Amino acid sequence: MSLIKNLKRKFFYFVLIAYSAFTVVPFLWSLSTSAKPQDEVFQSNILPHHATVKAYVTVFKHIQPSFPSLFANSLFIASVVVVLHLVFASLAGYAFARLKFPGRDLLFYVVLGTMMIPDQLRLVPIYQLLVKMGLINSHPSNYLAIFLVKAISATDIFLIRQFFLSIPRELEDAAKIDGAGPFGTFTKIMLPNAMPVLATVAILTFQGTWNDLFWPSIVLQSPNHWTLPFGILEFKGQFSTDWPPIMALVVLSTLPILAIYIFGQRFIINMQLSSSVKG
Amino acid sequence: MLAVATRPPNSVAARQKRRRMWNEAFVGWGFISVPMALFLVLSVGIFFYAIYISTYKWGMLGPRGFVGLKNYKQAFHDPIFLKSIRNSVLYAVLVVPLQTALGLLLALLVNSKIKGAKFFRAAFYFPSIASSAAITTLFIFLLAPAGLFNQVLSFFGVNVPNLFNQGAWLSDSRTALLSIVGLNMWTTSGTMMLFYLANLQSIDGSLMEAGVMDGATRRQVFWYITMPLLKPAHFFVVTSGMIGALQLYDQAILAGGADGSPDYSLMTMVLYIYNACFRQFEFGLASAIGIILFVIIFSLTLLQRFAFGSSAWRGE
Repeated sequence: MSLIKNLKRKFFYFVLIAYSAFTVVPFLWSLSTSAKPQDEVFQSNILPHHATVKAYVTVFKHIQPSFPSLFANSLFIASVVVVLHLVFASLAGYAFARLKFPGRDLLFYVVLGTMMIPDQLRLVPIYQLLVKMGLINSHPSNYLAIFLVKAISATDIFLIRQFFLSIPRELEDAAKIDGAGPFGTFTKIMLPNAMPVLATVAILTFQGTWNDLFWPSIVLQSPNHWTLPFGILEFKGQFSTDWPPIMALVVLSTLPILAIYIFGQRFIINMQLSSSVKG
Repeated sequence: MLAVATRPPNSVAARQKRRRMWNEAFVGWGFISVPMALFLVLSVGIFFYAIYISTYKWGMLGPRGFVGLKNYKQAFHDPIFLKSIRNSVLYAVLVVPLQTALGLLLALLVNSKIKGAKFFRAAFYFPSIASSAAITTLFIFLLAPAGLFNQVLSFFGVNVPNLFNQGAWLSDSRTALLSIVGLNMWTTSGTMMLFYLANLQSIDGSLMEAGVMDGATRRQVFWYITMPLLKPAHFFVVTSGMIGALQLYDQAILAGGADGSPDYSLMTMVLYIYNACFRQFEFGLASAIGIILFVIIFSLTLLQRFAFGSSAWRGE
């Protein structure tokens, strides 16, 4: 009996470890390929026989736009979008959770309803609108187009509203007795207490914007404005079978997200999910 | 009488209260004004603008005349569009059950009392964090005829050059879409696992214990107690998985280019919209297909909501 149990247990761990290998090894493989010379690319050695940084020199110096430019654009766009989401979603989330005003519930349902509209339906009319506004161009104002498209998120408003609803009313009542108005209550009581959900929104927005391919590939006109995923799409076509530099781009574009994931894991895993599933 | 006595309509207190109420209302409107304006223009207004555009012949230089439902008719007469619907639906029908089952399985594994649960959870979620561009590119490299996947197959004794597709998984029209199913099952199951985990951790363990006390087997406990209690997660995972699957674009354009090669086997509805828009400059047609996609997604969501019961949506 205990022998069978022991075997079962071993098999259980074997499955867990085998599947972990399945999820992690491909990334190690991309790292290894990025350090291989071209003739070793399809050999099955995981450690390169003749390790080289040539691929990294290529993506830093020889491609146009270079990796630093793609990185800077991704970082700039993702950071601005994070700030926009934090400001708009916390203001709206607080108003929908706590303030009483005519039309509140109707407007909240409108916000939720917009979640049903797929981005691909918005593609044509938004593109037309941006053309009319003169934002589809190769000047820096092109960035405004992507900020406008990505400025608002119904999910983030929903997440923050749910969190505010869970904060005890006594906290606000205490502030009110001290003479704080709605705005004072918001900045002095609600925001400091909402740090976990704000961190979650910031991390998920950053990750989503950093990884997005759809809108940048449609809106961004000049190669000088391209983001990393857009760069990968374009260079994959250009390099075709020159895999080491492509894998170098894959590795370099994933590292920042990996770092954020490691530091922000507890926010991503614990917060986002419990609030979205439990509603 | 008492009410009148304590709150005469024009007392100082009543006026103050009304002023506070209006003050709060103005602050509320102020707080939502900018995001709400953006929603009303960029989501609600844009939605109606899309319907408007879809009824026009609309080219590079703008509208060229009202055509009614002609764009919709034109779409349904194009065999490539019909193929794109078939591909998108087939893809969704395959990937949603697979990623849901795998996500649930991973969640159950990680949720059991094991050593290193945190490590395994992080490892299983790992493919979900990278961008679709990065992960699809990596996947294309792994699935290349001489790539790691075929090397592993050879290692296990498979004669790859003798396979029906000669090991060219992504450049054979019979296996290209299935390969993308495999890719997204692998990347999305991590996210689905997290949704199930959150739900599993909110379940009161004493319910399962009660089942065991009453003499239920482990399998019975799972099917009759655990599974029904996971209803909110089932609903969320299936609905969001379905919506995401019908919007397949990144992986298709990376692996098959704008034509969804080979032989349109990776031509999805969204890729078709992209082509109608940026290669044929048929904005009316592209808009019409956007509306069709919306109708499909919307009805499927309603259907699922109906199937799971409305309480699941609120997570009760």
